[in-house]
Amino acid sequence: MRRALAMLVISTILLALLPLAFLTPPATQAEKSPALQPITCPRRGGTLVIIHWGDPKSFNPDSQVDDALYNIAMQIYNRLVALDIDYNVVPDLAESWEVAPNASVFIFHLRKNVKWHDGYPFTCRDVKYTFEAIKKYRGIAYGLLKMSKLKSIECLDDYTVVFRYSEPFPAFLGFLAWYGTFVLPEHIFNKSEYKDWMDPKIPALHHPIGTGPFKFVEYVKGSHIVLEANPDYFKGRPCIDKIIYKIVPDATAALQTFLAGEGDILNNRPPLSEIPRLNKTPGVIVEMRPMPSRWYIGFNMLRPLFQKKEFRYALAYAINRKEIVDKAMNGYGYPAEGTYVPAIKWAYNPNVKLPEYNTEKAKELLDKLGLIDRNGDGFRDYPNGTRIVLRLLIFTGAEEEAIARVIKEDLKKVGLDVKIEEYEIATWEAKVVKQRDFDMALCDGFEGPDPDNMRIRFAPGAYINFANYSNMEFKRLLDLASKEPDPEKRKELYWKAQEIMAEDLPYLPLADLVAFYIYRMEWHGLPWHLPGVVGLGVYERVWWEKGTPVTTTPKPATTTTAKPAAPTTTATKPSPTTTPTPRTTKVVKTTATVTATVTKVATTPVSPGAATVTLVKTVTVAKPTTVYATSVVTKTVTATTTVTAGMSPAMGIAIAIVVVIVIGIAVALARRR
Amino acid sequence: MGMGTYILRRVFQSIALVFVILTINFTIINLAPGSPVIFMAGQFGMASKEYVEAVIKRWGLDKPLWERLLIYFANLLRGDLGYSYRYLAPVSDLILERLPITLFLTVTSAVLAFIIGSTLGLYAARHVGRKVDAALTTTMFVFWSTPSFWLGIILMIVFGIQLRILPVSGMINVRAGYTGVMYYLDIAYHAILPITTLTLIMMPQYFKITRDAVLHQLKEDYVITFRAMGLRENELFRRHIFRNAILPPVTIFGLQLGYAAAGAVLIENVFGWPGMGRLLLDSILTRDYPVIMGIYLMISITVVFSILIVDLLYMLLDPRIRYR
Repeated sequence: MRRALAMLVISTILLALLPLAFLTPPATQAEKSPALQPITCPRRGGTLVIIHWGDPKSFNPDSQVDDALYNIAMQIYNRLVALDIDYNVVPDLAESWEVAPNASVFIFHLRKNVKWHDGYPFTCRDVKYTFEAIKKYRGIAYGLLKMSKLKSIECLDDYTVVFRYSEPFPAFLGFLAWYGTFVLPEHIFNKSEYKDWMDPKIPALHHPIGTGPFKFVEYVKGSHIVLEANPDYFKGRPCIDKIIYKIVPDATAALQTFLAGEGDILNNRPPLSEIPRLNKTPGVIVEMRPMPSRWYIGFNMLRPLFQKKEFRYALAYAINRKEIVDKAMNGYGYPAEGTYVPAIKWAYNPNVKLPEYNTEKAKELLDKLGLIDRNGDGFRDYPNGTRIVLRLLIFTGAEEEAIARVIKEDLKKVGLDVKIEEYEIATWEAKVVKQRDFDMALCDGFEGPDPDNMRIRFAPGAYINFANYSNMEFKRLLDLASKEPDPEKRKELYWKAQEIMAEDLPYLPLADLVAFYIYRMEWHGLPWHLPGVVGLGVYERVWWEKGTPVTTTPKPATTTTAKPAAPTTTATKPSPTTTPTPRTTKVVKTTATVTATVTKVATTPVSPGAATVTLVKTVTVAKPTTVYATSVVTKTVTATTTVTAGMSPAMGIAIAIVVVIVIGIAVALARRR
Repeated sequence: MGMGTYILRRVFQSIALVFVILTINFTIINLAPGSPVIFMAGQFGMASKEYVEAVIKRWGLDKPLWERLLIYFANLLRGDLGYSYRYLAPVSDLILERLPITLFLTVTSAVLAFIIGSTLGLYAARHVGRKVDAALTTTMFVFWSTPSFWLGIILMIVFGIQLRILPVSGMINVRAGYTGVMYYLDIAYHAILPITTLTLIMMPQYFKITRDAVLHQLKEDYVITFRAMGLRENELFRRHIFRNAILPPVTIFGLQLGYAAAGAVLIENVFGWPGMGRLLLDSILTRDYPVIMGIYLMISITVVFSILIVDLLYMLLDPRIRYR
């Protein structure tokens, strides 16, 4: 009885606490409308939540390879120049630049009025420090920027910087706009008490200070990173208030988290089989762009068998690249056609054609080589009677396995036996790159932002030229191209090199990868819609449909003064209105090989809180015959005001408390005898 | 030999055992083909030779294995667990940061699994052969054979996506950014699904062991005697059978607590829970040897010593067991 009483007392206390749980904190989006800055925001406010796949290693974006930091660093820091969605160079901290005729001297004119997040003015001193540090501490861009050939970095005045190279370096701008080249604050890093730029005592390694559109607020390892809008950003304060990177490493869990509405952009690459489902989800848009990244296999040219060109050609005829895209990549990719990536348009030679799929020709070539089936087991043998078994080494991964299986099946059709060996990447590197212990190796790689990547990747003497390709003419052309200042001549050299590579075929390109941009419909101003305006991955111009409308006449902010490198952009943006936009049409056309057209028609709300939204989404690929994804979705979307999934934690806890009380009472009653 | 000497000997044995484990781990990890340098240097082709050489030199990876092992032990004795290649931060900091977050999950679910599992086991044993027993046994069997990550994803889809009453992943609601008491309530709210999954996965072993132990006790002579004496069934179970049958589940519980510090790799990964399991997995995937070694050190210490404690507890609980 006493126990029952005690239970009752506890239950009463818990019940009394119950109302507390319902005291939900105020609305999640602080909707301020600071009209302090000249803006181009149709609406202000909102928190962009990005589901992100990993933890950054540090907050020094120049010191080491840190793919997880890269996208985050782009919001906090700036580079001198950036790359847009089409891999063209756009101005960033440098508003314009001059290239000396022989492409060995580069002069950048820096923006004035730029401030570090701590209020300190940005000047040429910071640029000089950054690149000298990359040289001195062997930053990740050391090799790409050819730091050993850099003679000097000089500041002509506070806003003019000159890079002098001892030889022509036409690829400089492309690499400068890419990886590990973020400008660091000299006034924080350059102190004599620090042993180098990764000294744990440097405060900016824990709380990064940049010049970028967003300021660092908080990082909880394994959980999230919070950034807030930088009111003093040199292009004006960003429209949204905050960016939160929510870290979810598991691809499936990340997809579910996104579907549950807990994120606005999905950075994780989802399992390819899930793309159609994502596409069908109301309010979610999936866009695809070809990437300068592709799958290829390398033939071990140290093996006598592969030294025979006919054998390599036979394999190329036997492998069905279209089937690889369809079966192993769920159709999300493009069969490789030439020996360089089409995404880097200017350098891609469309006349170079890899052998077309043709099993008969493959068999013919193999027969000619005397590699025939000697014992009638269906597989070809060496002249001494032992079966030819080709070892194909791949990385661990579902897509890798699927590609390898297609190759195995294809080669089986021409009587060649393939043994697939799967390794985790470090082991793969040891076996393939270091020991050359393989017959064929599957690899994927980024071949941009400049075709000089071909030299780094495939030229004789390059570390990862694992096929041991040794054509010296190929090397000579690429070496020449890497120093050729005239873009037209450079292009010709690369075109010639691609022809030679297609002729020799030491590597067989398989398929070009596709980049997915997965986001919620209510977000606009995304970097993949703004070629020539913002760097790829920079969210400085993002605005939210549900934000507070801006009542003042939008004044164009001081944007890029230098003319963007190439692309012509037609972008019709929805006009800023206070009522839910009755008809919103967004057409984005770019010069890229893919034209994405997103038409969104929203009719007047049927009932409060519900609206019929017709979403017509067409992604057309400029290649004549291929249309990879066309979907017309008509759906009734129940517009709920809450973006977050389900109920608030308070509700959940309240339910939990009620459950505990019920159990408590039940136990108490049961105990009473 | 006195009891004190025995305990002292066992403690020394345990310490030696930890060092043996560490030596084996260190050797196996470092003998694995491939090198951590590739992860520090990133995608092929991007890192220059100079960069790779600088990295190798900075971390002393050019030294022979035995030398690195000696350096590691020397640092360990000074209380230095090393420095993470990946995060460029002291390993001890990384571990301490994650430990409470992980213990919240693992210890809570271990306790819940123990309580619920053994209670249900006792209940099933009392109703052995009836429908209730069959139903419980089948259910437990199903949970026992379910892969934890799969159960986690199913629960996530049902409660997070379909019913929308629980959050899908993460530790806090990043959009809301609660502070104060709400912050902790938020963590508790986000912990419901992972804790439930872990509890459901761990419960069956307690259920099975308790049920079997009770059934075993029921065959003992004293039960027959007590029944013959007319002792009420409730009294018999509570006073006598339960006390005898609870020893085996307690042992399992003690051992499980030893592993609690290691975290739940699969569950933490599925639910985006920033605990030790995630740290371990990330470190393995990026070959962050010092962190892997640090976590293994912690696991081996907790496991070895929880075994020791369970042994000593047994000695106290059961007068028949004597130290030698």
